[in-house]
Amino acid sequence: MKYILVTCKEALEKAGVILEDIDAIAVVNGPGLKGSLLVGLSFAKAIAFALNKPLIGVNHIEGHIYANFLDNKKIETPFISLIVSGGHTSLILVEEIGQHKVLGKTRDDAAGEVFDKIAKYLDLGYPGGPIIEKIALNGKKDAIIFPRPLTKTSNLDFSFSGLKTAVIYFVREKIKTKEKLQIENICASFQQAVIDTLIHKTLSAANKYNIKNIVIGGGVAANECLRKTMLETGKLNNIMVYFPSKELCTDNAAMIGVVGYYKLSKGFSDSFDLDVFTG
Amino acid sequence: MKILGIDTTTDVLNLAITINGVMSFDFMMKREGITHSAIMIPTLKNILRITEVRLNELEGIAVSIGPGSFTGLRIGLATAKGLAFSLSIPIAGVNALESYALRWKELPGILCPIIKARKGEYYFTFYKKRKNSDNLIRIEDYQCMDWFGIKEKLFKLDKSVFIFGYGLTEIIENNETNQYPNNINFIVRTKSRCYIIALIGEKKILKKKEK
Repeated sequence: MKYILVTCKEALEKAGVILEDIDAIAVVNGPGLKGSLLVGLSFAKAIAFALNKPLIGVNHIEGHIYANFLDNKKIETPFISLIVSGGHTSLILVEEIGQHKVLGKTRDDAAGEVFDKIAKYLDLGYPGGPIIEKIALNGKKDAIIFPRPLTKTSNLDFSFSGLKTAVIYFVREKIKTKEKLQIENICASFQQAVIDTLIHKTLSAANKYNIKNIVIGGGVAANECLRKTMLETGKLNNIMVYFPSKELCTDNAAMIGVVGYYKLSKGFSDSFDLDVFTG
Repeated sequence: MKILGIDTTTDVLNLAITINGVMSFDFMMKREGITHSAIMIPTLKNILRITEVRLNELEGIAVSIGPGSFTGLRIGLATAKGLAFSLSIPIAGVNALESYALRWKELPGILCPIIKARKGEYYFTFYKKRKNSDNLIRIEDYQCMDWFGIKEKLFKLDKSVFIFGYGLTEIIENNETNQYPNNINFIVRTKSRCYIIALIGEKKILKKKEK
């Protein structure tokens, strides 16, 4: 609430446009925290109403998919999208721009959340993703074999809390037996378990629906190891893999604008009774 | 000066337009299951139509900044900020307790506006009238207590005191208020007071302009 106006003014100033130049207002109306969603939505509605511009409600997860369009304007549909962040781990089938079908999602923790929780458990700091990635550089990814949850089932759901528990139990055991904790190896092996699981599931989805394009998004998509392995896997399987630039992986509003642009160009807009949804 | 008032302190949406210090229109609505967020702009649209005020004729936005429902206040304040920003007009925040007190300022005695908070507590304060004037003087801090605490304060007063605001029905139902001393009076009627918010806002905006 305190920052919305200054941030808005700064965005306009840096982009070198005035408010009147704006053609439409795109705003996230979910999923997320009710209180903050309401601030954004109310502010957006007021501007759209005052300037008589179209209002476009955007799903936050949709934003992460379309972040890719900011860098690669030519991604062909249909594609499978893996959205992986601190709040989500979802596989989505995009048959056409604007037509989405959720194929699977996490049953418990999101992948990014597990990075954070493990980093917290090991007292490494926050956010966990970049910290673990950095430490993992000096470790062996096959030093410890952690579980790859749900990779032996045919459904496309994820579950990461078991992996988290496995890491924690492993560390506890080492502490108990007073063995030296090889943090580098733990980080590298844990990271590899997450990446293997993500890639396995995404590839299964692509095979199941016979799709040749994979589009990744969300904060965890900034993980260099995931990017590299996923691109290699794509090449081996004759599948095109797309990632947004690293700065567009994390939460940003540019991606929301992109969704707004595509929706508007399809003639889609929302009425002012649009409301927020949390989950 | 044409001012739009926005009040989302409670579960009642209250909007008003004042023109040169006089109420032009004041509208209250409450519908179960519908959020302020969903009806804010459609309602505003209708009010502008009825008052024949064009949006770009507005010269200021006055908005309640509570105390009250956090979710409701967020909607009101974010809407006000968006409108003020788009229309390049000033915005003024108004304390909701003050607006309640001014709405009932003709009552002969100490004024005690209350607004239901969470966990069985209430925001409240006390006002008295300045001699030979319409102005109110706040005689205590803005506070938040459970009814037991407020009751203790009320019982210490020997003058007439009038309690009004949001969440009173519950208090009266759950306490034997009819056995309270005669100088303690409850006013249960709901009165729209968003035009008061607009009027206070107008004064604030004019004052700022003078500076």
